[in-house]
Amino acid sequence: MSDDENRKKDEMTTIPHNELRPGAMPPNASISRKLREFYNAVQEEGIPDRFLELLERLEQAEKNAKSVNAK
Amino acid sequence: MSREDEIDDRGFKRDLLASLPNLRAFAVSLTGRHDKADDLVQDTIMKAWANQSSFTAGTNMRAWLFTILRNEFYSQMRKRGREVQDSDGLFSERFSVHPEQYGRLDLQDFRKALDKLPDDQREAIVLVGAAGFAYEEAAAICGCAVGTIKSRVSRARTRLQELLGVSGESDYGPDAGDAAITSRAFGS
Repeated sequence: MSDDENRKKDEMTTIPHNELRPGAMPPNASISRKLREFYNAVQEEGIPDRFLELLERLEQAEKNAKSVNAK
Repeated sequence: MSREDEIDDRGFKRDLLASLPNLRAFAVSLTGRHDKADDLVQDTIMKAWANQSSFTAGTNMRAWLFTILRNEFYSQMRKRGREVQDSDGLFSERFSVHPEQYGRLDLQDFRKALDKLPDDQREAIVLVGAAGFAYEEAAAICGCAVGTIKSRVSRARTRLQELLGVSGESDYGPDAGDAAITSRAFGS
């Protein structure tokens, strides 16, 4: 993660100085932040129940298959 | 089943669960829709589960899962043929599914802009800029050279700036604080 942050810092500092005016910000920083906001919003929805149920079923099926094989 | 296998199995499921929110966000980024994304994640879980033995314990499970999901996404796209490209009508349909998650207008705009990128650029910028992968890992997931990923990320950034009309001006209110910090940092 720290590599990531360093990289982002590098990208920000590559913006030519003369493009920065008071009240302006490097456009990449804005894009990067929005991308993370969008992505994090989806991540924060958590794990839908259907996936928890699916994993339960897969686990159970595996156990059943193994007990049949063991007989 | 030996006791050791059982412990491995539990570890596999635990790691898979831990990766799911991130994997799902990647799926939403690729497909642009929650319903399709969840179908894709479901297919990925089943593939991953069936191929547990091909996963080397101790290696990066997240990268492994992302690779499976990405391959699944492109193979499904090839099977179905290219689906109709996104139109504004489709977007409003999407947003009506989970309106509460997109309360902020600027995030909706961002999502629309992201969906307008070519697939290869979109996945590159999402893997590197949001999912937390290094360029090298993203290149391995996409099966291409590191330089290719870098140039795709760079082109994606440029395109997003164009689409969102970000020109370096202070377009967004909430950026004011960051801008002040940046200005100070640059001594301007």
